[in-house]
Amino acid sequence: MAHVNPHDVMAKRKDKEILKSRVKAALLDFFFVFYSVLVVDRVIWNKFILQVKNIPFSWTEIGIIALVSLVVGVLWSLTGTSLSSKLFGISKKNSVTKYTFEIFGWFLFNITFIAGWIITKISIVDLFSEEGLNAAQRIFSALFTPEMAIFDEALFAIIETVYIALIATLVSIPITLIVSFASARNLMNENKFTLFIYATLRLISNFVRSIEPLIWAIIFSVWIGIGPYAGMLALLIHSIASNAKLYSEAIESIEEGPVEAISATGANKIQIIWYAVVPQIILPFLSFTIYRWDINVRMATIIGLVGGGGIGTMLIQYQGLAQWHEVGLIVIMIALVVWIMDYISTKIRQAIY
Amino acid sequence: MTILKVDNIHKIYPSGTHALKGVSFEVKDGEFLVIIGLSGSGKSTLLRCINRLHEPTSGEITFLDKDITHVKGKELRGIKQQIGMVFQQFNLIKRRSVLTNVITGRLGKLGTFQSITENFSPELIEEAMNALRIVGIEEKAYKRADSLSGGQQQRVAIARSLMQNPKLLLADEPVASLDPATSNSVMHYFEKINKELGTTVICNLHFLSLVRKYASRVIALKAGEIIYEGLPHDIDEKWFKTIYGEEAEEVEIR
Repeated sequence: MAHVNPHDVMAKRKDKEILKSRVKAALLDFFFVFYSVLVVDRVIWNKFILQVKNIPFSWTEIGIIALVSLVVGVLWSLTGTSLSSKLFGISKKNSVTKYTFEIFGWFLFNITFIAGWIITKISIVDLFSEEGLNAAQRIFSALFTPEMAIFDEALFAIIETVYIALIATLVSIPITLIVSFASARNLMNENKFTLFIYATLRLISNFVRSIEPLIWAIIFSVWIGIGPYAGMLALLIHSIASNAKLYSEAIESIEEGPVEAISATGANKIQIIWYAVVPQIILPFLSFTIYRWDINVRMATIIGLVGGGGIGTMLIQYQGLAQWHEVGLIVIMIALVVWIMDYISTKIRQAIY
Repeated sequence: MTILKVDNIHKIYPSGTHALKGVSFEVKDGEFLVIIGLSGSGKSTLLRCINRLHEPTSGEITFLDKDITHVKGKELRGIKQQIGMVFQQFNLIKRRSVLTNVITGRLGKLGTFQSITENFSPELIEEAMNALRIVGIEEKAYKRADSLSGGQQQRVAIARSLMQNPKLLLADEPVASLDPATSNSVMHYFEKINKELGTTVICNLHFLSLVRKYASRVIALKAGEIIYEGLPHDIDEKWFKTIYGEEAEEVEIR
């Protein structure tokens, strides 16, 4: 090992940190300026004040705005008085910074709120129009007079739903275990290769998780055909991705002491995991898994709407035929089952701790 | 015979903290070396560099005539097996029995499959009971570790390190979380291991009265550097103020 001068190491590290922060701050400032111009011009000025129906769109125009924002943002960032330099802690400490931080911060918040209000088309008139109220009354009265003739059919469908959720949860457990250990940072920071696995798994599971089970159900119902199997797979893949995150966070937040102690005896990685990690995470894992079953029962009713089988498929059929009395029965049964599941899962989780 | 030689080691953490700034000393076989100094002076880091829980940024550590500064993998685990360590927070596996905790001291020599199936031989269990006997709590063997008092937990931790048959025993403020009476009893076991088993001990301590009672030699650290090296009884008022700062006053533990 070559001779290392500790002071050089320290200085180099610090320079690198500051440079990184400067680049990040400049990029963020660019984004802030770009965002403000776009929101004020497109939404507030054109759409709201001028009431333009179809705002002409061209990439050249957006490009020019972006370019100008980039120049303004970077120059602003270089002065060290910008909002982002304050956020990254590399700003000059003077009154200008204080004002830009407060004024521009408020400005960003306000234009975002106003733009949101405009885009959402919030309207009190629509909510309380006579026509609308009449329609709502019709549906509500139907929902509260459920049609009991389809009770048997609905019962079987909801049992199917509960089993879809149960199987998805059970099958997810072993896979989630493997994924979560491999995506816990404190277990995978050994070398570059393990860190690569960690980063890849995190990326994949973040991606999978960001797609709702509803969309997974659409994909699987095309892939293998409409029915409970498609619904189960949709829940399974989402359960793995969601619980892997929770599990691996539980692993990352364990007490480091026992890990250090077992490692100090000369134990290998697997022994360290078995003796110092596993005893600390069993209870949280159980709790997360039971909670996931609870979530999956709710989800299973929804994914039925897009062909995932169970009570949801039945619901969407009667809704399509506008048979609101039948829909009423189904909704009441869903509410009942979800409520019971919620109660059971809470009780079990309380008993565990 | 020199068992450990630490030569000009530096440790810089990824956060940028410069914890050790060129520390050098030697330890002879059978010594009871005590390291004193304020919190944050680098005592814990030093111990963790010696048994290579941390890797020094520069410098050299020689243990039993072998350079261990940058060893890796299986070789590193071999080194760790020969160095026992006891921690301030005991660091036992809370939900497991005392006996299992003690046996974990032997993991380095057990096969992976054997250790995760927990298939321990009667000889191994007898050895673990024996280690518990040395620290005087064999009757607690089948209790859950977290049901024991602090002092008892620390004795289990000592028994765990004894299972390694260590050449060197490190103790990182082993009595800092214990009350004075218990402190003395735990320190007494370190003395017993040092005197009767001949194990070399390096121990971080806070209280000078304990240092005077148990240490055969003392090193004082301040801001990552050694500022005193000598016999415990040579630490007078002046040295005390240098090590712990002008504001400090000595507290007695008997």
